[in-house]
Amino acid sequence: MDFIDYYKLLELDKSANQADIKKAYRKLARKYHPDLNPNDKEAQLRFQQINEANEVLSDPEKRKKYDQYGKDWQHADAYEEARKQQQASGGRAYTGGGFGGGQSGYSYSGNFDDDTFSDFFEEMFGSGARAHGSGRGRHFKGQDFNAELQLKLSDVYTSHKQTLTVNGRNIRLTIPAGVENGQTIKIKGHGGPGVQGGPKGDLYITFNIINDTKFKREKENLFSNVNLDLYTALLGGEITVDSFGGKVKLKVKPETQTGTKVKLKGKGFPKYKKENQFGDLIITYDVKMPTNLNAREKELFHKLQKLRS
Amino acid sequence: MNLEDLIPTDEICAKYRVESTFVSSLYESGLIEIITVKETQYVHCDEISVFEKLRRLHYELDINLEGLEAIQHLLEQVRQLQQKNLELKNRLNLYE
Repeated sequence: MDFIDYYKLLELDKSANQADIKKAYRKLARKYHPDLNPNDKEAQLRFQQINEANEVLSDPEKRKKYDQYGKDWQHADAYEEARKQQQASGGRAYTGGGFGGGQSGYSYSGNFDDDTFSDFFEEMFGSGARAHGSGRGRHFKGQDFNAELQLKLSDVYTSHKQTLTVNGRNIRLTIPAGVENGQTIKIKGHGGPGVQGGPKGDLYITFNIINDTKFKREKENLFSNVNLDLYTALLGGEITVDSFGGKVKLKVKPETQTGTKVKLKGKGFPKYKKENQFGDLIITYDVKMPTNLNAREKELFHKLQKLRS
Repeated sequence: MNLEDLIPTDEICAKYRVESTFVSSLYESGLIEIITVKETQYVHCDEISVFEKLRRLHYELDINLEGLEAIQHLLEQVRQLQQKNLELKNRLNLYE
């Protein structure tokens, strides 16, 4: 891990006393606590760093080593050991206390015991199981897992089965038709194993849906633009348009203007978890003018122009 | 309601080392639901995550009950806004 200036992180001076550290930690913890910043990964990271800084600076022994060795403070023991060996020939012995480096966790000077530490630490940093029940001998629910799944829009038009690998385990799940971009679904019992016979945690999957079609989607409604030639727009007629489920024949009213919208009921996207229910397809007509007119066509258009004026 | 899904408040207090008054205060403020079955009070296991969050905020960040109420209310607003934001982002794709 890169060196982090814990004093800077807690916005403290090197001469700060324990009360200052506690105060600074409280202030920043209130700002970046993950419970107060849902879905904010940056705040979560910052909170982790603040905890680490607090863990070191609020412990006089760790702080002393941090002040002395700076970025190498975690190897203080090794330095001390080497120094001790060097000095052994001179008859001097190092009497400093042991320091178990490497544990980066949540330390707090409030009313906490190991249980609370563990519960909080595990939940914040996602290792191990999280208590879901309570009491001695009660079972505990396993850790919840989060995953992101990228799918094409055309994939979620129908319910389909897909195999996912989460934490080395293959999970075969049914993806319901009509899931939305950014939507999170819960797969019960596919998280971490429970403790003391408790239920497994849940798996939360967030969908990232890429549109690979010419349609635009808003919830269960689809939108598309359809080009219309001048004559069909003016005189009306029948056209064939693409819908998600296939081609659809459509009557065009005479004198249809560009920008006219037509709603094709039930030709949109499937409604999420509502079997055989679909949204609408909204078509916007785009009338295309003829180009490369020949002399005869020009003459006829002039005649039409004269008729209108 | 399945009794297996209910956790006695006494056990919650023992496990989380909180006073029973804290649990009842959360109930009185409408922050958690307490179910009474045969004179024993329970919290549904689905509510434990909410309880854990409120406990953390109260004991770790020194936030009092009024603060918890305000936070819970604001977090619900944040949740709704995040949902709305997602919907609008998806809608914006229509114009891109």
